[in-house]
Amino acid sequence: MKTMTMTEDEKDVLQELINVAYGRATALIADMLDAFASLSIPKIEIMTTVELINIFTKLKRSSYFFSAQAFMGEFSGESAFFIDEESANNLATHLELENKEDLDDAILELTNILTSSLTTEFAQEIGTDVTYSVPTIVKQSSDELENNETIHKYSQVIVIETELNFKEHKINGQIFIFTKDGSIEWLKKRLNSILEALT
Amino acid sequence: MAKEKIKQYIRSLDIDKKIISCIDSGILILDDELKIYSINKWLELHTDLKEESIIGKRVDEIFKEINLKRLTRKIRTALIMGTPTFYTASTSKYLIPIKINQIGISKYSFMQQDVSIIPLNETKKLVALIITDQTNIANTNALLEENSNKVKELNNELIKEKDTIDKKVLLIKFDRKFKITDVSQAYLELLEYEKDELVGKHIFEYEKYDELKDLKTDIIDSINKQTVFKFEHNIETKNNKLLHMLTRQVPEYNIYGEHIGFIFFKEDITASKELYEHQEQIILNSRFAAMGEMVSMVAHQWRQPLSVISSNLISLKMKKELNILESKDIEESYERMGNAIQYLSTTINDFSNFLTSDKNLKEIELSIFFEKSMILLKNIIISDKITYSQKIDSNIKISTYQNELVQAIINIIKNSVDAFEENEINNKQITVEATKDETNAFIYIKDNAGGIEDKLIKKIFEPYFSTKSKNKTGLGLYMSKKIIEEKLEGTISVKSYNKSTEFLIKLPLIQGK
Repeated sequence: MKTMTMTEDEKDVLQELINVAYGRATALIADMLDAFASLSIPKIEIMTTVELINIFTKLKRSSYFFSAQAFMGEFSGESAFFIDEESANNLATHLELENKEDLDDAILELTNILTSSLTTEFAQEIGTDVTYSVPTIVKQSSDELENNETIHKYSQVIVIETELNFKEHKINGQIFIFTKDGSIEWLKKRLNSILEALT
Repeated sequence: MAKEKIKQYIRSLDIDKKIISCIDSGILILDDELKIYSINKWLELHTDLKEESIIGKRVDEIFKEINLKRLTRKIRTALIMGTPTFYTASTSKYLIPIKINQIGISKYSFMQQDVSIIPLNETKKLVALIITDQTNIANTNALLEENSNKVKELNNELIKEKDTIDKKVLLIKFDRKFKITDVSQAYLELLEYEKDELVGKHIFEYEKYDELKDLKTDIIDSINKQTVFKFEHNIETKNNKLLHMLTRQVPEYNIYGEHIGFIFFKEDITASKELYEHQEQIILNSRFAAMGEMVSMVAHQWRQPLSVISSNLISLKMKKELNILESKDIEESYERMGNAIQYLSTTINDFSNFLTSDKNLKEIELSIFFEKSMILLKNIIISDKITYSQKIDSNIKISTYQNELVQAIINIIKNSVDAFEENEINNKQITVEATKDETNAFIYIKDNAGGIEDKLIKKIFEPYFSTKSKNKTGLGLYMSKKIIEEKLEGTISVKSYNKSTEFLIKLPLIQGK
């Protein structure tokens, strides 16, 4: 496995593209939840899987649960959404949900909106299509996650991290969109062709 | 042109419709008002509804249990985003109620569904709901979860048990190369070692058998044969405390049955070994004490005949010096001294008879037995001005070890005699009574020597317990109890009331029956 880095220029372009995408996602979520929502400016990082697992482990300890959704295409990867227990309860109250199943469904919906709005827009910007799998609730414990073979197949991940915040309703969540080795290479090529077109 | 023709031909085949009708998923086309535009064959077959009869109707008219708010929200989101939204079987179970009619065990009565809501036409606000059957996966997941919970439960129990073993069981494990692989916490605490001080070391580096070459050979031999082996040996703790251990060595196998090493299960028998040695000492001391008692009784018995001999000798000597010694005096003295010597000899025989242990059971009449036994104590009782009386029916006979019983009885009566020495009592009395039922004889030995305090009475049969001040070993009553219970198959108890003490001995009429 080779180690890849992103140049500052590549990072800049990626950040710009993501920023466009997240603005649209914010509007959609606000519409869905009928409340003012904000998404923090996405942070983009390339990190090792070990580092990512460490972040997940910490988050999972304080989370209600976390959900994941895969996306496929030339640009492929996975998203993971973490929401703490208090936020989950507030979401349930706000959406007038009756039971746990409804709450789980609403969180999956939120995951789906975040994942697809962020990635679709981004994919369009870089001129490709993505499809989505059904989002799922990840029931694995952090220990199991650490032993998960799939995650260890990859050395590095691009992590796009953003925080979802409904100030009025005290709903906070964190979404990670990560792509793995193959997509990173593809992405770098696309970013560079955009860079060339710009200069 | 050819391309256009192909396209036209394909369109004439109505290929999309055909594919949709063959597909193994339900397809339902709705607008954002939930009005039905189309359903495919799969859905027709599963719901028993015909497309013509439901087109134009609202989906909630047909399927009343649908959560409208949620469905509307999902459709709107899909249309706004231009990407699919979803229902998942894991949280929503199903959208369209479809009864399961399959044979086979299922946890669900209705088909479990994943539903993807795909935006079709933004202007007409049309979406396609693709419904896929997830019942098998849901069943598998449920089964998996059930089993996974069971495994977790079992695992927790195992962890708990392992923890208990670690804390309670003394064990040390080593591999086939004799390297220590694990030591239980309990054993570490006993040895005063930390785990990493032992793990990795050769077993014989920590358990030294240099002076026990045969034992070491036996251990290695049983290790090679993978057999269970039990042995006792001494072991030193880190702080040089000597422990006596009983070790059971067993081979250890992994889950595939492969031999991976050995376990020494240890038992610290230092305390029981010390107790055993202590008891041996008590028995030895008791024998000495019994002999001492007997010697003092013999001395008592001898005092009078010895004084007879001595006074006769003095009388003979004086008469000779005064020249008044006659042959009659010599004969009379000779006879008196002869009698006294005979008495001395009889006494020695009586005592030595009683001191030897009986090999055979003998039938004895209790009243005669007590009369004979009291001969041994006669002089002491007379000199201490004690009245001895017995009330025993002549028909009470028991089959027992006579000499052992004498020793037990003498110790009890001697205890009463000693008690009288401690307390100033007028009208000193020792009485023996006996009764019987069908299987047992009951002997009551009672004195009025002042009784025993409540707090002391429980300890009266313990070794080295004595309330008397001087030269008492405190082993008499302990020995009596041991003899009665272990050799004579009886019981002994004591109670104290009105300044009196009463021992009750229960003996089988026929021992060993």
